[in-house]
Amino acid sequence: MEEKETLSNEESLALITEMISRAKSDYVETGISALLWGTITTFCAVLTFANYWWQQNWINYIWFLSLFAVIPQILISIRESKIRKLKAYSDDAIGGVWISFGICIFLLSFWLSVAPNPGWGNTNSLYLILYGIPTFTSGYARRFKPMIFGGIACWIFSIASIYMLYPYSMLLLAAGAQLAWFIPGLILRKKYLTAKQQNV
Amino acid sequence: MFKELDPILHSQLRLAVMSLLISVKEADFIFIREKTNATAGNLSVQIQKLKDAGYIEVIKEFKENYPNTTCRITKPGIKAFEEYVKALQEYLKVNIKK
Repeated sequence: MEEKETLSNEESLALITEMISRAKSDYVETGISALLWGTITTFCAVLTFANYWWQQNWINYIWFLSLFAVIPQILISIRESKIRKLKAYSDDAIGGVWISFGICIFLLSFWLSVAPNPGWGNTNSLYLILYGIPTFTSGYARRFKPMIFGGIACWIFSIASIYMLYPYSMLLLAAGAQLAWFIPGLILRKKYLTAKQQNV
Repeated sequence: MFKELDPILHSQLRLAVMSLLISVKEADFIFIREKTNATAGNLSVQIQKLKDAGYIEVIKEFKENYPNTTCRITKPGIKAFEEYVKALQEYLKVNIKK
């Protein structure tokens, strides 16, 4: 592109439109991560299905494969970030969703393996896992630390509530709600009112 | 009374760079060069002008032992771009009425 100092208004607008569409058209995903997890999960699920008849003890541990897949996933993520030529605004939000998903899968597996018996205390643990998802994702997408910490606090409380009996686990639910929403809400409200006052 | 078009933005290559950066969070130098079809030298000069105006942020770092330049639009850059587009629309509205 040769530098042209005199642009007509129509040319300027056409250039802006063209460049915005060029930037959008360049955004591609390699798809390697999706292929990796799609393959491993299908393999484990089909093998577990077949094991209903095979009755092989070792197949019960096949899902540990997904833990090992975390290593290539980390390497793929590092490599993709190195070759990536641009970062879109949606990348942070999408990243937050997948981090939440990874943590929740871990917490759910942990809950299933250690929860002694279903009851109020343990159900609160599941609610706390759910509380953490939108809180952490919103905080991560907007780079708002109080919500990131609030989401993480909910997940920590979800582990703690497994070992707590009803009604005491309700106190963890209350603490989770305070850290995830009430305190960040107060901070946001204060910021909003300050901004509103400045604009008057 | 028409608002005067920002001279920093009212040039082909600088406007192209700003239009690319407004649609992404950040982009590296090679990406911008490929999309604008500009020469590396000319692009460097125009990027420096945008940086001096405070419209973009330029981050220089090493990626796998090679120097890498990443550009990101700043808040004043977004504001200037929005005002530029608004001013353009005003001009075009008048042209259509004529």
